[in-house]
Amino acid sequence: MSSPAEALLKPLQIKHLTIRNRVMSTSHAPGYGSEGKPKERYQLYHEEKAKGGIGLTMFGGSSSVAVDSPAAPWNQISVADDSVIPFFREFSDRVHRHGAALMIQLTHMGRRTRWDTENWLPTVSASAAREPAHRNTPKEMEDFDFTRIIAGYAAAARRCKEGGLDGFELSAAHGHLIDQFWSPSANRRTDKYGGSLENRMRFGIEVFEAIRAEVGDDYVIGMRMSGDELIDDGLSHEDCIAIARTYAERGLIDFVNVLGGQARDHLAHAISLPNMSFPVAPFLHLASGIKREAGIPVFHAQRVTDLATAARAVEEGHVDMVAMTRAHIADPHLVRKLMEGRLDDVRQCVGAGYCIDRIYVGGDALCIQNAATGRERSMPHVIPKAERKRRVVVVGGGPGGLEAARVCAERGHSVVLLERNAAPGGQIGIAAKATWREAMSGITRWLSQQVTKLGVDVRLGVEADRATVEAESPDVVILATGGRPNRGDFKGADLAVSTWDILTGAVEPTGTVLMYDGTGQHHGASCAEFMAKRGALVEIATPDRMVAEEVGTTNQPIHLRELYKLNVVMTTNHQLVEIYPEGNRRVAVLRNEYTHEEEERLVDQIVVELGTLPNDGLYFDLKDLSLNRGETDLDSLIAGRPQPVQANGHGGYTLHRIGDAVAGRNIHAAIYDAARLCKDI
Amino acid sequence: MIATALTTVVLAVLAIGAALAVWQSRRWLAGRPAAVGVVAGLRALPGRYLVDVHHVVGRTPFNARFHALVAGGFLAALALLVAMGVAFGGSRALWLLLAVVLAVMLAGALMVRYRRRVLRPRELSQGRFARLPLSLLGFSGCLLLVALDQALGGVMPEALALVLVAAAGVALSDLVWGVWKGPLKHAVHGALHLAFHPRPARFHDGAGRDTGLKPLPLAPADETEPGTLGVERPVDFAWNRLLGFDACVQCGRCETACPAYAAGLPLNPKKLVQDLVAAMDGQASDAAYAGNPHPGRGVGKAHGGAALPLVGYDAMIHPDTLWSCTTCRACVQECPMMIEHVDAVVDLRRFQTLELGATPGKAAVMLEELRATDNPGGRALTRRWDWAADLSLPRLAAGGSCDMLLWVGDGAFDLRVQRSLRALVVLLRRAGVDFAVLGEEELDCGDVARRLGDEATFQSLATRNVATLNARRLNRIVTADPHALHTLRNEYPAFGGSWTVVHHTALLLDLITAGALTVTKPVGRSVTFHDPCYLGRYNGEIEAPRALLDAIGVERREMLRAGLRSSCCGGGGGAPLTDVSGERRIPDVRMEHARETGASLVAVACPNCALMLEGVVGPRPEVAEIAELVLAATETTR
Ligand SMILES: Cc1cc2nc3c(=O)[nH]c(=O)nc-3n(C[C@H](O)[C@H](O)[C@H](O)COP(=O)(O)O)c2cc1C
Ligand code: SF4
Ligand code: SF4
Ligand code: SF4
Repeated sequence: MSSPAEALLKPLQIKHLTIRNRVMSTSHAPGYGSEGKPKERYQLYHEEKAKGGIGLTMFGGSSSVAVDSPAAPWNQISVADDSVIPFFREFSDRVHRHGAALMIQLTHMGRRTRWDTENWLPTVSASAAREPAHRNTPKEMEDFDFTRIIAGYAAAARRCKEGGLDGFELSAAHGHLIDQFWSPSANRRTDKYGGSLENRMRFGIEVFEAIRAEVGDDYVIGMRMSGDELIDDGLSHEDCIAIARTYAERGLIDFVNVLGGQARDHLAHAISLPNMSFPVAPFLHLASGIKREAGIPVFHAQRVTDLATAARAVEEGHVDMVAMTRAHIADPHLVRKLMEGRLDDVRQCVGAGYCIDRIYVGGDALCIQNAATGRERSMPHVIPKAERKRRVVVVGGGPGGLEAARVCAERGHSVVLLERNAAPGGQIGIAAKATWREAMSGITRWLSQQVTKLGVDVRLGVEADRATVEAESPDVVILATGGRPNRGDFKGADLAVSTWDILTGAVEPTGTVLMYDGTGQHHGASCAEFMAKRGALVEIATPDRMVAEEVGTTNQPIHLRELYKLNVVMTTNHQLVEIYPEGNRRVAVLRNEYTHEEEERLVDQIVVELGTLPNDGLYFDLKDLSLNRGETDLDSLIAGRPQPVQANGHGGYTLHRIGDAVAGRNIHAAIYDAARLCKDI
Repeated sequence: MIATALTTVVLAVLAIGAALAVWQSRRWLAGRPAAVGVVAGLRALPGRYLVDVHHVVGRTPFNARFHALVAGGFLAALALLVAMGVAFGGSRALWLLLAVVLAVMLAGALMVRYRRRVLRPRELSQGRFARLPLSLLGFSGCLLLVALDQALGGVMPEALALVLVAAAGVALSDLVWGVWKGPLKHAVHGALHLAFHPRPARFHDGAGRDTGLKPLPLAPADETEPGTLGVERPVDFAWNRLLGFDACVQCGRCETACPAYAAGLPLNPKKLVQDLVAAMDGQASDAAYAGNPHPGRGVGKAHGGAALPLVGYDAMIHPDTLWSCTTCRACVQECPMMIEHVDAVVDLRRFQTLELGATPGKAAVMLEELRATDNPGGRALTRRWDWAADLSLPRLAAGGSCDMLLWVGDGAFDLRVQRSLRALVVLLRRAGVDFAVLGEEELDCGDVARRLGDEATFQSLATRNVATLNARRLNRIVTADPHALHTLRNEYPAFGGSWTVVHHTALLLDLITAGALTVTKPVGRSVTFHDPCYLGRYNGEIEAPRALLDAIGVERREMLRAGLRSSCCGGGGGAPLTDVSGERRIPDVRMEHARETGASLVAVACPNCALMLEGVVGPRPEVAEIAELVLAATETTR
């Protein structure tokens, strides 16, 4: 195959619109909206991709066209009135300045939302069929609902055009209103909108006809749809091809944006946003199938994480535009790096799904490994050089330490990184041992490669102490020494082993095992899966209401699916209160969180996951010797100012502690701690 | 008595020399006819010798000095001797004068000897040339004694004087024998070559520079006599080209300058010229050649003759030698005999490509693509503009007019070059320059095809590009590609197109000088500039890029080989396609030159140079196209 550049850096013409290359980001809802508008933060986030060379960036996932499809509560965009137009204008100017095209996704969510927010209106759909993901039963649409909602679509379309956007797509995917009509799984009507596929297509056709009439034939309109709903009572691939062809032949749409699956329930949702447990580009064949029949440009997203795969998708003719949506969350400059022949420097999305998982609990989308994404106002994607070169010693080669070393080296400082283990990566190395979580190691791989490339003096297998640190005559010392497993303080805690012991291979899982998970994160669930795969009989117990409760919506269903498949017993709402030995075996005492009744389990092993406690020995050795006594000034940190106490150049150093070495949190926290601090050093 | 004897000897030897020269002339007169202004040429001869030749020779002052002493002394001595015998007889004043000029010559001869014995430059030929100091010393030394003696009234026994005269005569005849084959050959042929030079415009009495290749008539003038395209055998060269080869004095300056030779590719331009010289004789071989060989090839294996094919595995010139040349003109620039090596190379390649289809390897594939698609990569012509999809470059349609047309060239198909083109476009916009592009109608300019000998494809492209451009009104063409610049500026006029063609470095300098671009962030790095051959030697533009670099605040360092004497990156003449292997890669050698300056960055001003130098692996200075540096230096803070 020729180089990815050859296939991807080729413009695509759709009507009057020239898209400069074949790489795009599909509409997503990052939760950056404010009062239903895409304001500065939202715009800067997409401007960064435009600067980074992307051909087309689509913003405003699920932007609403009507009052009964609420947007503001999820910090999404409402296109239901004219007040959004000035923001669109500002947005399109900003993106066009860098040569990229800008589009939005418009939708009515139908039943795929909640009624108890913003306007407190009942949700509507084709039929009164409950939507599993939102546990919500809609009202069946009646005649005036059709008129009102179709008019809403048309008016929203006009607002896009007036706002200077290059086009838009309607979502008829993920189980939104249009595909609720299409899908036999949600449409039980007997009128002209239900029954035959032709009838089920009718509502969507009426919508597109109305918007065409509103914006004219020369405006670019697309449709996002599934290529196969992948559920028994849903749309088949053939149905989807028929739909695409019908809409295209009628001149209603200029492109079709195809994905696999839909999102009515938790697992379906996880499949539609494939995480690292999926192979690369798992549903490309569905887009390809539609491409063969539709006769209009086809776009496609779903776990295309590397440019070689993207190029293959385009070069082999499967699609016309390849979306790398999360790939751009991880690295908004990936096209520029392709253009500059710096493929190695692309920070590849590992598919952790941290970004999407946050938005379903009301958070904003943030990348597990790129702390600048979504924070463009305060965090640079390209680190500027410092005025003064400093000597920096970083202790600890986990994600926080590596990021600190990387940012400091980008600043032009001379950096030494000391890591106790023989390989960098810290806890990521442990997490990546657990079956499908292997791809986590991609985070370490990129960071280590960058750090090496930037000339950081990485010393592995070196246990840092006061003497080793001071021998480097540092100006700044950053301690990213991470944490150690919290073993708990219940009676008999010493009779348990940690998830680290199991995952690192220090302790082999045998016989019957109780996995007690006190954090609800990935660790417990993936360790349970790991042990079950190695032949242990595993029960996972948690005080939470469900297993892996803290894990988000694109990952938790995969954990649950795997645990069920492996016959892992899941015991919720129970606290581990005591362990005592019985011969070679152990008895765990579990107390019900609600009845306070106690149960016992006689097992061969008990594994506990209770998070980490900081490794702070070196910190306290150095604290009183440092110029700032180890204090990071929080106001300066947040304001993006250099720390008030700086190395004075006459000996002495400032000392900072980051990541789990301060308090056990997560990878993003460690990386953000590092980048936020070091960008101003 | 002594005077008469001397004059007789001199006249006799000179007569033999003249006869030899006439006999010799049959060799080069066997070449094809050439249109030459004989009278004008002869009239221009002294001037060309004193100005143009000395300009070249003067680059190595020691050589210039000994040459002036030896040649001046020798010619003056001959003139005096003839005069003494024929007209004035032996007055003491004349003898004294003769002694002075002989002393001058002797001094020069001693320098020659010092050079050959002590300095021993690698590039000098041995063989007959090794006897040169002896003959010079013999002639000037012996006669000096005689002349001094005569000036003092003749105290030396006559017999001794006659022995000295005889010795001088022997030395002289050795020198004159050289008219046949040897050192003195160059004097006669060099003079004639200067007078009848195939490129009279290159001399100071012409334009001062003449580097464009001349069109090859593709259809024979006479239908009945098809003739061959290009040069197959020595006799296929025009006679004044053969004459030129005969002028070679084997000084080796071309060898020292040649980038292919330096990289150990099987090409030594001096040997190439000598191969041609040897081939002019019937039943020839290169066995008598006593200089450095083509690297990696021994001497003595090549055979040929005046009417035998020149290029072949056992012929005088191995195909690898022919296809190693980058057409950089470094040899031409250095040659004191004004020999046109590149013309010879292209003439030979024309036959190989047009008549035999023997273009090697990837070059043949490229030519196929070029013929089929009008671009070397065989891509759709629209793809030339892919990189600029977001720049909305205005297209100049037929019938339209614009001040400046941007010719992007084939680099526009390449990712690396696209970056510098983008920088240039942003700069033009920033400076408010009104420009347009041709769009799909821009074809490959034909440069590489032409240097590979594919004159047919070149002419087809040139004719169509000229027609496209002539259908539009434009004031000037700007390009970042020196190869396109050279072709459009110097080679398209023969096809009816002439415009002002400017290189982007000159334009950017103007824009900065005129204040249209303001340097806001001086570069402040140590930078060395690599002159593109097609901008420097081919077009004499070596100042603007430097002034531009100075204007953006770089700390400029010069490589030892720079400006008109710069060394090629290896990217010209289709060399990257013919890809003859050597001991090293040419760009590696050039990067070594850059490294020696200690500069942290090499600035280039040609897409080929960017690709070649950036392809050098291992630790090395960064490579940046000048436009990229100017872009960074004139960034507006927003
Ligand atoms: C934070 C986030 C929010 C998303 N919201 C939407 C949405 O509102 N509408 C939609 O059609 N897709 C949405 N998506 C899905 C993306 O458009 C895309 O299909 C998905 O991320 C798979 O592509 P990728 O593997 O290239 O990231 C969202 C994705 C993310 C990461
Ligand atoms: S959080 Fe994970 S899935 Fe999301 S963009 Fe970053 S690496 Fe990719
Ligand atoms: S043109 Fe350049 S490469 Fe060719 S022979 Fe002359 S010096 Fe060598
Ligand atoms: S070709 Fe010219 S430069 Fe080369 S050896 Fe002969 S005279 Fe010297």
